[in-house]
Amino acid sequence: MSGVPLSWYLTLATVLFAIGLYGTLSRKNAVGILMGIELMLNAVNINLIAFWRFITPHLLTGQIFAVFVITVAASEVAIGLALILAIYRQKKTIDIEEIDLLKG
Amino acid sequence: MPTTQELIAISPEIILALWALSVMFLDLLIAQSRKSILAYWSLLGLLLAGGAEFSLWGREEILFQGAFVQDNLSLFLDLVLLLATGLSLLMAKGYIKDLEMEHGEYYTLTLFATLGGMLMAGAGDLLIVFLGLEVLSLSLYVLSGFRRTEPMAQEASLKYFLLGAFASGFLLYGIALVFGSTGTTLLGGIAVAITEGGLLGDPLLLLGLGLLGVGLSFKVALVPFHMWTPDVYEGAPTPVAGYMSVVAKAAGFAAALRIFLSAFLQLAGDWTLLLSLLALLTMSGGNIIALAQSNMKRLLAYSSIAHAGYILLGVIALNSWGLSSVLFYLAAYGFMNLGAFAVIVALRDGEREYLALNDYAGLGSRHPLLALSMAIFMLSLAGVPPTAGFLAKFYIFGAAVQAGYGWLAILAVLNSVLAAFYYLRVIVIMYMREPAGQVAKMTHSPALALAIFLAVIGTVQLGLFPAAVVELAQASLFPFLGS
Amino acid sequence: MPPFENLPTDLVLQGIFLLVAGLIVVAAVAVVTLRNIFHSALALILCFSAVAGLYILLEAPFVAAVQVLIYVGAISVLILFAVMLTERVMDPKMGARNEQWWLGLLLTAIAATGLGAIVGFAPWPLSKAPIINDQITALGKEFLTTYVLPFEVASLLLLMALLGAIIIAREKEGG
Repeated sequence: MSGVPLSWYLTLATVLFAIGLYGTLSRKNAVGILMGIELMLNAVNINLIAFWRFITPHLLTGQIFAVFVITVAASEVAIGLALILAIYRQKKTIDIEEIDLLKG
Repeated sequence: MPTTQELIAISPEIILALWALSVMFLDLLIAQSRKSILAYWSLLGLLLAGGAEFSLWGREEILFQGAFVQDNLSLFLDLVLLLATGLSLLMAKGYIKDLEMEHGEYYTLTLFATLGGMLMAGAGDLLIVFLGLEVLSLSLYVLSGFRRTEPMAQEASLKYFLLGAFASGFLLYGIALVFGSTGTTLLGGIAVAITEGGLLGDPLLLLGLGLLGVGLSFKVALVPFHMWTPDVYEGAPTPVAGYMSVVAKAAGFAAALRIFLSAFLQLAGDWTLLLSLLALLTMSGGNIIALAQSNMKRLLAYSSIAHAGYILLGVIALNSWGLSSVLFYLAAYGFMNLGAFAVIVALRDGEREYLALNDYAGLGSRHPLLALSMAIFMLSLAGVPPTAGFLAKFYIFGAAVQAGYGWLAILAVLNSVLAAFYYLRVIVIMYMREPAGQVAKMTHSPALALAIFLAVIGTVQLGLFPAAVVELAQASLFPFLGS
Repeated sequence: MPPFENLPTDLVLQGIFLLVAGLIVVAAVAVVTLRNIFHSALALILCFSAVAGLYILLEAPFVAAVQVLIYVGAISVLILFAVMLTERVMDPKMGARNEQWWLGLLLTAIAATGLGAIVGFAPWPLSKAPIINDQITALGKEFLTTYVLPFEVASLLLLMALLGAIIIAREKEGG
């Protein structure tokens, strides 16, 4: 068994998730928000892999789930950045405080 | 390798996937002026998938080592999804042509979104719940921004995307915690782990379940996770808004039913209080804000939030009556809500849409049939007998009373009374108010007329002769509750 | 993992973990606080790479490789492109935080303490079972047997994302 206890990994994942959460909530730039979300997804994956390693090392569920999370993250980023570029082309800004045609 | 039996059992999903791909290729061959062929082609695919569903009725197949379940519950929900998709495609055909966004991808993405919903409805593994949800959501992000010349649509789409991706993060964190405490992502496996591992009341599992719930609440737009709904409905093309209001909600509730019934039934006591609070907030929040709306799409957005609150009541009741009434409610809601959206789509002069509530003035005398249909949908949404909406509410509130949530049922009834104000106001405006200027124009299209006709039939039929659908709904839940 | 001898291994591994974890946290903080979004994107790449290192430490080489290929290779590049295509409007002096940033910080602090307290110190059902043999072969088999349905769905998802991105980003209507 690896010398690093599970709780260390989980704490790290929590911290990373929290940082991502903060980034998502505090950024003005839509790309910045997206980066925050990616940090959150990375935190999830650290959790999944750590759980796999410490709780079900004889199976592969955790790893497989993590690979799917990465796949989905890639698709999300592709769509999200396309949207951001489309808005930028029209409004010349991607500051979410200036994108306000719709009432919040 | 999947066995032949597995392939047959999952044939509705396969048909839909192949159909979406075929639309994509046919799109390349068909000239721009004849794109509406694709609408009929897609409808044919929906019919075939629906036929496959019917032929599978009564079987209970557990496929791919438990990752997917094709039983009556998933078949019932799939049929609701397919029906809603069909209605929305009928609405969309003329609309996307007039608004110059008639691309084959519209149909491909709609079919993909429905496929995502169907996967959620039959999920036996949190992985499938997640992937289905993403297939559904990603299609919807694109569809809601489909009108690229319209800045509002783009914005709505970006907002929806950012909040949706954010919600996915919570959902996944919840799944990771559930996986950590039970060692599996199979829904059946989780239930076994809870029993065998003595995980009742385990804080980790509850936290995981809570985060999962937050993620799902975003998708079905429960208050306080609803902020995106009105903006997205307003910005998205109207048929897409109608589609979303039914399909995304039905799929979200489908996933919630699956997750709670197959995996967390033993933890029921721990989540009902929280869910009751959520239901109360959702009903009241949706209805109160809806009262102040002057835009038809925003009004229906808040109304759809309120309806999610009512549906939640059935989930909370957690008896066979409550859960079958959730299914019945989803079917009824599908007809009446899509019907209302279809009327909005019909009220259009080429590219110009009449969305303000005041545009509906004088509709009663100018377009009597359209106004009558709208009146039926509004009465049904308000829950006035003898419509589908009344019976759906009646069943679901009755189930809540039966399960000992009388106080919640009373509050829900009060909410319905409140809601009746804004639904009836639409009718009053249509019939009593003189139009300020010209009466809104109406677009004539056979497909759209068919959609409205079908929605009226469904709304009235489910209101007068509900027995068949109720029986189907009850048969769907038999394996879970046994009564 | 190279076969370390028993005695000092734990300390060495813990040291490596702290190093990598420190790198992840510093890079992540940089991602969410730096004013220049381009610098944030670079910090993000560093963070992704460090997370890949963590996976190696956790003896999941395949996921580490996927992390490098997809996150570092594809996602980061996409983000960099987006930043560069939209950057000139984002004046670094303009301030990167929105008006509700303090609320975000508060929520984050509450969430982190809550999650951390429950997750970090809970008694997880640790397993002493040995790691599965020949992971990569096993993974390949699993993907095409037990997980064939999610595998196929993921392929549809990627196709759809491709289609969606093209539709949204297409320059002109009807093009």
